[in-house]
Amino acid sequence: MNAPLKKIPTDTPLLEIDSVSKAFGGVQALSDISFSLMPKTITGLIGPNGAGKTTLFNLISGIFAPDSGDIRYNSRSTRKIKSFQLVKQGIARTFQNVELFETMTVLENILVGHHAQTRSGMWGSMIRFPWVLAEEQRAREIAMTLLDFVGLSDHAHAISGDLPFGWQRLVEIARALASRPRLLLLDEPAAGLNIVETLQLGDLIRKIRDQGITVLLVEHDMSLTMEISDWIVVLDQGKKISQGTPRAVQADEAVIAAYLGTGKKDES
Amino acid sequence: MIINSQNTRNRIAYAVFLLVIVVSGYFLENLYYLQLLTFIGINTLLALALNMLMGYAGQISLGHAAFYGIGAYGTAILTVHCHFSPWLALPAAIAVAMAVAYIVGIPTLKLSGYYLGMGTLGFGMIIHILFREWSSITGGASGFIGIPPLELGPVSFASGRNYFFLVWGCVLISFIACQRIIDSRIGRALRAIHDGENAAAAVGVNTRALKLQVFVLSAAISALAGFLYAHLVFFISPGTFSFIASIRMVTMVVIGGMASVWGALLGASLLTLLPEWLHAFSEFEMVVYGLILMLVMIFLPRGLFRGLLDIYERTLKKNTH
Repeated sequence: MNAPLKKIPTDTPLLEIDSVSKAFGGVQALSDISFSLMPKTITGLIGPNGAGKTTLFNLISGIFAPDSGDIRYNSRSTRKIKSFQLVKQGIARTFQNVELFETMTVLENILVGHHAQTRSGMWGSMIRFPWVLAEEQRAREIAMTLLDFVGLSDHAHAISGDLPFGWQRLVEIARALASRPRLLLLDEPAAGLNIVETLQLGDLIRKIRDQGITVLLVEHDMSLTMEISDWIVVLDQGKKISQGTPRAVQADEAVIAAYLGTGKKDES
Repeated sequence: MIINSQNTRNRIAYAVFLLVIVVSGYFLENLYYLQLLTFIGINTLLALALNMLMGYAGQISLGHAAFYGIGAYGTAILTVHCHFSPWLALPAAIAVAMAVAYIVGIPTLKLSGYYLGMGTLGFGMIIHILFREWSSITGGASGFIGIPPLELGPVSFASGRNYFFLVWGCVLISFIACQRIIDSRIGRALRAIHDGENAAAAVGVNTRALKLQVFVLSAAISALAGFLYAHLVFFISPGTFSFIASIRMVTMVVIGGMASVWGALLGASLLTLLPEWLHAFSEFEMVVYGLILMLVMIFLPRGLFRGLLDIYERTLKKNTH
């Protein structure tokens, strides 16, 4: 087991969330959230249901823009960048409810994940220039390597929608990795997994971090999150109520109060 | 590897296809059948065009006859009024169809599902009205007469046999081009859009640009079909490019089988042949026609191509047991 990092990372952050707010109609989903992600760390984003975690994910991956505040990736604002372009720049994500391309094979799903890193177009594909074929060959090799990495290379040609749920999760993670991300957003990757699968997932996420990829993890499974995260950010009702190492956060009274629903919510 | 075996299977399929075209082209004596097959070829191009958009990218168009019409009227106007060579009119007509698709596609393809259907339906109707009412140029409701036959040096395509080869040559080339797109990264991204547009965007696919590209491609193939139609029959009228024609294109794709180039061939064949076969039913023709389409959809919901393939595989399994 990895002990959580003791020191507070002091590098320049890969992602900075700067006083971000977002409302949907009358509901204030996020208010004035600020925190940073240090490179090559796993940050766990936790909080009760409705805390605004998924909203924050959608803001980071460019699906919505924040009402106020800014999100900076590599010190540059992502406000004007469309979500498909963010993927090219190195932000990849998975979805809470696994959104695979269900009629396509596992390998094809991964290859679509690699789309942003390749460039042959319609004409190139029609005429089949040598470089187009070389690019396709390389893409397939990368995809197979990733399937090996998540342990599904035997099922490369299975239709992804037919796989058991736990494997679909792994395919989705491999698909996200296929875009060669520097930042990987995982939205409840352990939801629907059994205990063994969850343990394996924890190992996988650590291996991903060890390859130099920064991970932001939304997760309800506390033991998983506390065990693998280097840093924890706690949201409750759209506000950040705590952050720190897993140990520090677990001891924070505001966090305990938010989860157990007793008393002093406004502390911190 | 599966990829290679798939490639080999594709090559064999195209080789057989080419053989069938050549053999039927040389040995069919009956001009009626040759012409019927030529019409099937033109309809196959239309079905293929719409299949790329509908079957692969999952974007419906209920106005595709407009592009078919732009190809036909484009070459008619350019060859008759402007005295262009048809071989110059062909790229020009295709370019016009592509430009129209591009301009129309930018706002329309932001819609999805029923709304996209309605948007393209409206577009198709506008173009149809244009063909009918702009009579100084298009000949109006009574049609456009006097479209010249095609010639290429010493080869005249006035004969049924040569025209048959011209049309099916175009079909074969379009099939291979589309198959290659489908098997490429672009084709994968199109199918990804079909399965989940948001997820596709989230993994880095520029969904809007790609939908526009396939819409323009589809318009180009439809316009090619329109060109071939115009120089085959020498006379065109707006009725051929009406709303009904767009619906027929959708029917060909759905009946034949979505997301398959061979489905386009089957769907186009069935919908071209059925009316010919059903003459015997005289006034009940349309009833029987509708009934057959219903039965196909009930028993082969994934279309003729997939359905027949499934039946074949099932009997194969039964025989080995």
